Amino acid sequence: MSSPSSFFSPRRVLIIAQSTVTQLVRMKIFYFLAPVALLFLGLQFFDAIWFEGPEALMPEQELRMHKNICLGTMMLFTSLFAIVSTALLIPGDIEDRTLYTILCKPVPRLDYLAGKLLGVIVVLFIAMLVMDVLLVTTLHFRTEEKLLQTTEYMVKIGYPEREIAAGRAEIAAHGPTILLQFGVLSHFLKACVIAAVALLISTFSTSTLFTIATSVMIWIIGSFQSIARDGLFNDASFGEAPSWADKIVGTLISLVFPDFQLFEAISDAAARAEDVLYSDVGQLLGLSVVYVGIYVVLSWFVFSDKEF
Amino acid sequence: MSEVAAVRVKNLVKDFRGPFRGKKVHAVRDVSLKIAPGEVYGLIGPNGSGKSTTMKAVLGLVAPTSGSCAIFGKNSTKVDSRGEVGFLPENPYFYKHLTAAETVRFYGRLCGMRGRVLRDRIEEMLELVGLQEARDRRLKGFSKGMLQRIGLAQALVQDPRLVVLDEPTAGVDPKGSREIRDLILTLKERGITVFLCSHLLEQVQEICDRVGIIHGGVLVNEGRLDDLISLEDKTELILENASSVLMEQIRELVEVTHGVNLVSEGQARTTLESLFLRETQGASSQEGRRQRSGKSRKRIIR
Repeated sequence: MSSPSSFFSPRRVLIIAQSTVTQLVRMKIFYFLAPVALLFLGLQFFDAIWFEGPEALMPEQELRMHKNICLGTMMLFTSLFAIVSTALLIPGDIEDRTLYTILCKPVPRLDYLAGKLLGVIVVLFIAMLVMDVLLVTTLHFRTEEKLLQTTEYMVKIGYPEREIAAGRAEIAAHGPTILLQFGVLSHFLKACVIAAVALLISTFSTSTLFTIATSVMIWIIGSFQSIARDGLFNDASFGEAPSWADKIVGTLISLVFPDFQLFEAISDAAARAEDVLYSDVGQLLGLSVVYVGIYVVLSWFVFSDKEF
Repeated sequence: MSEVAAVRVKNLVKDFRGPFRGKKVHAVRDVSLKIAPGEVYGLIGPNGSGKSTTMKAVLGLVAPTSGSCAIFGKNSTKVDSRGEVGFLPENPYFYKHLTAAETVRFYGRLCGMRGRVLRDRIEEMLELVGLQEARDRRLKGFSKGMLQRIGLAQALVQDPRLVVLDEPTAGVDPKGSREIRDLILTLKERGITVFLCSHLLEQVQEICDRVGIIHGGVLVNEGRLDDLISLEDKTELILENASSVLMEQIRELVEVTHGVNLVSEGQARTTLESLFLRETQGASSQEGRRQRSGKSRKRIIR
């Protein structure tokens, strides 16, 4: 029998992560993908009345709306899923006393926490992948349809070849491109950070409900904190310059709560088919790793002295 | 060099505070005990006496306020002390989404087992606890007794030198209870140290070598079971097929002997548990026949 490290063992983390994935899969959590799939497929056949006539939207606007709805749905589902699944796991193990039997084996508490979080992240990745495939597939067909309609229309009107090509390129830019994948990635990273926040809360919370409610609150604060900070502390139109106390409060808020607006910026740019720098995506990835790392370390700090 | 104790609890004190720095509760007060390797030790006491807290301190689930606990010489608060321990909590719950075999596999892997060694061990454990038939059934459909048995299987999977059992037969029917008791005796035969908490005193009496009695967080008595329960000034005599003439002769002998009193005399009795087992299992065993023949037994305490 090999004896894994008594401090941290990646193998043991993987064992706990694997068990977490099995647990979540057998809890039938992937059923939530069914309404998402229906929504994505339904959008395919959805043509609002304002898509015709003089007020008709341009094809690229129509595709942007398709992407906005899909990315928004993905963000909402993955964020809620990250909170609920993480909140269910650790308090559930404590209530069931399953945790006793795990921690009475040579399992460091850091391994347990990291394994649980990794399990949730793997399930989030699978869910995101399925939704991404659905999004790319539906968007591909929708883009092809728009390209065909626009080309036919422009040929009929007598547009020159060059302008037709330019119009087609503009529509294609709103199709399933690598930019769109950056948007999907930003939502996945955001969900990972939310799961890490929920993990931290669940280490000191006494109930699943408290964990869910507090995590949702942090999610909301994190989504709007940069807007509030800008408005209250940086915007000169609000009158006087911010005091030192305001600045300290602003800094503390930004340190305690993750700034989810940064994730939204990439996603919004992807939906608008605007250029996103690879370096920005890299920075977002790095920031997410730092956020998750900090929350895991804080969780470990709280959990290591927890008594059962 | 003296042998390292399987469990050593030294001046253990554990206090709990209520929320918001509330009133301090003394759960365990200066408890010291030592369990030798291969011994079956029973810790008994009423509810809230500090049994479970002592057990949790030994397992590192709670940190001592003062004092220390060690398993085979290793500090209980350190992870490496748990490689040699198997634990069965009271009313165990495991991941209900796993099957019996998957559960044992999960705990085995956590202990660093893998490959053929683990596969063989899973089968061995399921056979030991009599759950081969249910190996591929998910635990959500398991009865209390089956959960208790799978709990034992996971506790034993890494072949620990110490097994800690918290109320191992709580809620289990007499047949299952007997099976668990037999299993503990098998562990004892294999030289595995058992640290047991139980409310069922008869059971503790039957299997433990040494017993500690804890009350109000204080270990009020401790020692070898035989020493603790024997009444030095009383002798029990159980006769089989004793005639009324013989009984009369014994009575007369006691009467004429100076300083000896006949305290009680009556029909020897079986236990309710033995009766239950006999009635539910059929009277095929030798034990059953012996118990039935007990009708003609006489019991005398002097």
